[in-house]
Amino acid sequence: MAPKSSPPAASNVVHSLWKAYSDQTSDRMKFIDAFLVFLMLSGVAQFLYCVLVTDYPFNAFLAGFSSNVGQFVLTASLRSQVNPENKNEFKEVSPERAFADFALGSIVLHFFVYNFLG
Amino acid sequence: MFSLPIIALLVAGAQAAVLTLQSPRFTVSSSTGSQLRSEPISLAHASSIPVTLTKDDVLKLTFQVIDKESGKGVQPHQTFLRFYDQNSGEEGIQPIRVTNGGKAKFELNMARPPLSLPPTSDAPLQVSLLIGSSTYSPLALSLFDLIVPASHPVPAHPDEASFHPLPEIHHTFRPEQKLPPRPISALACIAVLAPWIVLLGLWGQVAPRAVHLFSPGIFPFILTLGAFESLLVWYWVDLKLGQVLSYGGVLALVTIFTGKQALSKIGDRRVGRK
Repeated sequence: MAPKSSPPAASNVVHSLWKAYSDQTSDRMKFIDAFLVFLMLSGVAQFLYCVLVTDYPFNAFLAGFSSNVGQFVLTASLRSQVNPENKNEFKEVSPERAFADFALGSIVLHFFVYNFLG
Repeated sequence: MFSLPIIALLVAGAQAAVLTLQSPRFTVSSSTGSQLRSEPISLAHASSIPVTLTKDDVLKLTFQVIDKESGKGVQPHQTFLRFYDQNSGEEGIQPIRVTNGGKAKFELNMARPPLSLPPTSDAPLQVSLLIGSSTYSPLALSLFDLIVPASHPVPAHPDEASFHPLPEIHHTFRPEQKLPPRPISALACIAVLAPWIVLLGLWGQVAPRAVHLFSPGIFPFILTLGAFESLLVWYWVDLKLGQVLSYGGVLALVTIFTGKQALSKIGDRRVGRK
């Protein structure tokens, strides 16, 4: 707990967390996680552009940013529903049903996003 | 029934009897009553010296209207005193009461000027007498010029300010927004597209093998999902909302069918594998 030993301890914790993640997570989950990371980075980049440079085509910013946020939400819910560890929580939701919901939600989201693009 | 009086009128008009004034006279007196000027009025030529009134003076005008031939007093139907300002073109008409015997007396008190007096300008008022009667030819006599004290300036009406054009309305709009300079746009474009590299890099490492993706049961579903996305891009580029909704409705039916087939196949395989 001493402040001197805290940086190595912190890096240790992060390292073991990363190791546990890469060992125990299936490739399918990692595939979805990669997509989530991509959505987050893309959203952050667009938001920074809007704040730091300009929001000029504001409808374009809204469309881009809201598509990132919406897709993130949809993908996160897909991930939680298809994760085998959550099987007991989503007993009546099969992974196929979850994917159908994801596909439907994505199409509706993209419809609105293209509407906003103008 | 009524033709008789009209004929009588016409006969009278044809006779064109003439009226004239007897002993017309004006008197200017001060407010204390002392007489300042008193003159008979010549009907042949107007007085060359104008009559001047100061603030509190009183002008008195007396005359008798008579028939020129018989010399009897006549009460005309209409008798007016006309004040005319040649410069401003304003005029005031003051009716005068004439007795049965044709005698008339008019008093102009400058302490209480009548409303018919026009506002003053540089020129003196030309005072004339207008007499009208149905049985005599009309009479217009110019009496004298009248100089009266300057009238008060016209008081401003309380609503006077509303009757002027308002200053022109200038709308100010927010300035047109501009795109940032091209280098910044390019940098931002790279920054926004950079996550794609991350995504593709990560997917390259962890992509699960999709062995059945192109199997005849599943591929139509993927195809219809792709068709939906292309339809939306097409909507962005070209289509109208109604077209998109109708095409999308047709495509949705196909997608429901293919999706049910593909997902039930995957589900069967998952359950069978367990």
